[in-house]
Amino acid sequence: MKYDFLDNPLLSRLGALPIEARVPMLGNVAGKHRSPHRGSSVEFAEYRKYVPGDDTRRLDWKAFARSDRFYIKEFEADTNLRAYFVVDASGSMKFAGRGEAKIQFARRIAASLSYLLVNQGDAAGLSICTDKLHMEVPPSRRAAHLDRLFSTLGALTPSGPTGLIEALHTIAEKVSQRAFVVVLSDLFTDPDALGDALQHLRYRKHDISVFHLLDPLEIGFEFDRPHRFVDLEDNTALVVEPNLIAEEYKAALRDFLTAVRAKCHDAAADYQLVLTDTPLEPLLREFLTARLPKSKH
Amino acid sequence: MLFLNPLLLWGLLAASIPIIIHLLNRRRHKTIHWAAMQFLLKATRESRGKKKLRHFLILACRTLGLAALIFAAARPIVSGLLGWGGGAIDVVVLVLDRSASMETKPGDGLNSRRQIVLEKVRDAMKNLGGARLVLIDSASGQPQDVPSPDVLTELASTAATDSSADFPSLLMRAAEFLAETPGRAEVWLASDLQTSNWQPENERWAAARATLANLPQKPAVRVLSLTGSTAPNASIRLLASRRVADELLVDLEVSRSADSQVAANLPLTTTVNGTRTTETLILPGQSLRFQKRLALPAGSESGSGWFSIPADGNPRDNAAFFAYGPARQTKSVIVAPIGESADYLALAAAPPGFGNQHTERIDPSQIASLSTAEVAAILWAAPLPTGAAADQLSRFISAGGQVICFPPGTPPAKPFLELNWGPPTPAEKDKYFILKDWNHNDGPLRDGIDGTPLPADRLKAIRRQIPVGDASQLARWEDGEALLTRRIVDRGTLWFLASTPDYTWSNLGDADILLPLVQRILALGAERFDASYLTSVGAEPTKTLPGETRSRLDDFGSPDPANDPYLAGIFKLNDRLLAVNRPPAEDTPEVLTREALDTALTGTGYTLLEQAGQASDPSLSRDVWRAFLIAVLCFFLAEAILCLPKKVSVQVLPTPLKAESLKADI
Repeated sequence: MKYDFLDNPLLSRLGALPIEARVPMLGNVAGKHRSPHRGSSVEFAEYRKYVPGDDTRRLDWKAFARSDRFYIKEFEADTNLRAYFVVDASGSMKFAGRGEAKIQFARRIAASLSYLLVNQGDAAGLSICTDKLHMEVPPSRRAAHLDRLFSTLGALTPSGPTGLIEALHTIAEKVSQRAFVVVLSDLFTDPDALGDALQHLRYRKHDISVFHLLDPLEIGFEFDRPHRFVDLEDNTALVVEPNLIAEEYKAALRDFLTAVRAKCHDAAADYQLVLTDTPLEPLLREFLTARLPKSKH
Repeated sequence: MLFLNPLLLWGLLAASIPIIIHLLNRRRHKTIHWAAMQFLLKATRESRGKKKLRHFLILACRTLGLAALIFAAARPIVSGLLGWGGGAIDVVVLVLDRSASMETKPGDGLNSRRQIVLEKVRDAMKNLGGARLVLIDSASGQPQDVPSPDVLTELASTAATDSSADFPSLLMRAAEFLAETPGRAEVWLASDLQTSNWQPENERWAAARATLANLPQKPAVRVLSLTGSTAPNASIRLLASRRVADELLVDLEVSRSADSQVAANLPLTTTVNGTRTTETLILPGQSLRFQKRLALPAGSESGSGWFSIPADGNPRDNAAFFAYGPARQTKSVIVAPIGESADYLALAAAPPGFGNQHTERIDPSQIASLSTAEVAAILWAAPLPTGAAADQLSRFISAGGQVICFPPGTPPAKPFLELNWGPPTPAEKDKYFILKDWNHNDGPLRDGIDGTPLPADRLKAIRRQIPVGDASQLARWEDGEALLTRRIVDRGTLWFLASTPDYTWSNLGDADILLPLVQRILALGAERFDASYLTSVGAEPTKTLPGETRSRLDDFGSPDPANDPYLAGIFKLNDRLLAVNRPPAEDTPEVLTREALDTALTGTGYTLLEQAGQASDPSLSRDVWRAFLIAVLCFFLAEAILCLPKKVSVQVLPTPLKAESLKADI
């Protein structure tokens, strides 16, 4: 295996599950996803009155015979999906407490989903963000593109403060067509700013999924002795007796999680709080299954 | 506060262990690179208040608990004398009451109050370390350095005496001493608070307080009260003694403790000139006054002896000493014209066949040529003296003589010693002047020593002459006018009686009143001749004159020669024979009230250590390690309560969400 974050057996098992967009997509080529435009698929969409200039081949003669009026029969258009994996590469993503490092978990999710998308003919792109760097791998449907994407993920070294908010705004501005935006981050940023960025994406009618990655130790905050906590982003240090502040810490974290969750909900984002000790397969399987249209369940 | 094991106080360093552990823990932290720093910072900001306080309280409880444990192990002692703040005292002035009443044994009756308090002071002084101890004992009143607290109980100046105490003077002496002695000082007054010794109304208290207040460093005053219940006790006191021919008439009083109500037999031992006899005395109640007639050996010129009762709660009040000189004739002079009054007075002054008494009648004009040196009393039934006669009579009274004046029946003339007669007043027809009330305890009309009253109510007068002037009334007529008055002039007394033994005046001559009245005044006058043999401890006659030596004649008790000036007994000072008894005030049981003590020591900020003389209270210092042990428990209990985990909050963190199916609404 060239990339340690790829699990081939897992990808094989998940191959049967399609990744569905939850909103109509605007693709360049025909695909398996709904498009907001009428097209040539086999799925009937609607009738509309004929107007001069319409292709007369699409006239419904049977309807004309019944009503003595010209109607155009329209069908749904199918198109492909373009996905952007926004991976937070700030220093905080390096943290590995009881589970694996958050960045590694993000790599595994991004790589697995990219593989599945490209495999089903959709395009997958990558956006890596820090405060100084916003690197993009444009989406592509080609299989060879995966290698570039994986190598970028593998070479990723988290550091510095997060640039997630700016990255999301950039994507919202740059990507004019509807896309599937997957955010992989611990979201240690201002919830209001995050909400604004997600609303920006929503305004651009992107399908948003948020994987909120946290280490179990960050949730439980269980320590048995004083610790010197060094910030992974700016290296500031703080010596505290964890037992004395555990309650306040958990309350602050609880408030944060509640706020983040509310912001995601407001932006119609698919929010998932993921602990880094969670097995990947059930996580992805549940994620994919939940995105299937109800008729396909 | 002092410690029996002061070395263990080094263990107080261990109290810093929790703080050291706390600081070490803070230094022994583990470094961790942390992502969720924003919550950590917020939590740290929010936990600064209550949490830190709680944390420091826990630390304080641990530290104080350990400190209290070390204190308990060091056996802290809180002295009732020293108090909690006691410690660095330079001088302790112990004012010790050595009066006879201090020999009372409290409780079980093993040691006297004086001994108990001395032992306690000794122990307290040991705890005080190197403080200088200065003793001012009530007998000598002189400051004396005590080289070591150990010898305190063995000093002659702390031994028992039969003296009284004068606390105003003693405190004044202590203040004067401290004025010359710099440093932090304390004054300890060890006393049974007998009112007669403290004299709370004495004006010298103000001077003593002022001297104390003006000291550069105001000393702490602590009163070691030695009151409380005592062992059963009986005391014997000599009221008076006089020699009548070959007999010695001794008036005695035997008293028992206040709670003794049932009759009791008490052996009374009489020792006269070395001859000892014992008889049993029946005490019907709390006290008994009686007269003892002692037959003296034929031809005995002078001698001495004592009455004693068995040892009891106070060994110092079990003996009454007496001494006597050669038999003297009791001489009296009647100054009156020849007549019925003079005859009756002569019969009363020298009854035929009664004792060795002699009287002579003279006219008022003869008084100037009268030698009064050996006269016990003058019975004056004539107009009041004037001029040289008045002067001579005044001198006689000042020297201790007794003069009783009877009404002359003439209109008032010049007063004598500011006293005069009112006009003669006859009673209304078919009515009498009747004696209504008189003093049964004092004066010549007092009840007999066995309590039998005089039949004074039989006195009826048809004529009277009221005494006028500033004198105390001892008997009054029915209408409140004075019948008998007394004016004390120096050592003698001037009496005025409003009637005379003449049947044209009253039935005074019937002898129901006149005889005891005259005899008692004669006895009073004769005391000045016998008084040279009797005195009390500390009185002027007990002091040796230049060239005199003192030798003790009796062997009662175990007298300490060094304390002879302060002991009761029979002494020979060259040619003088003296029977010295304890001062009568020492037999009065009145104890100073707290209010009176406050009055006496007001402004000194004194501390009263009550019941310091209780035998059950073994020390003035108390071991208080238990209090510290309780403090240890309290501190650790508080620490445990503070360490209890807080109630788990019902709010929990949101669980990781499953993929939410959000309906696309775009």
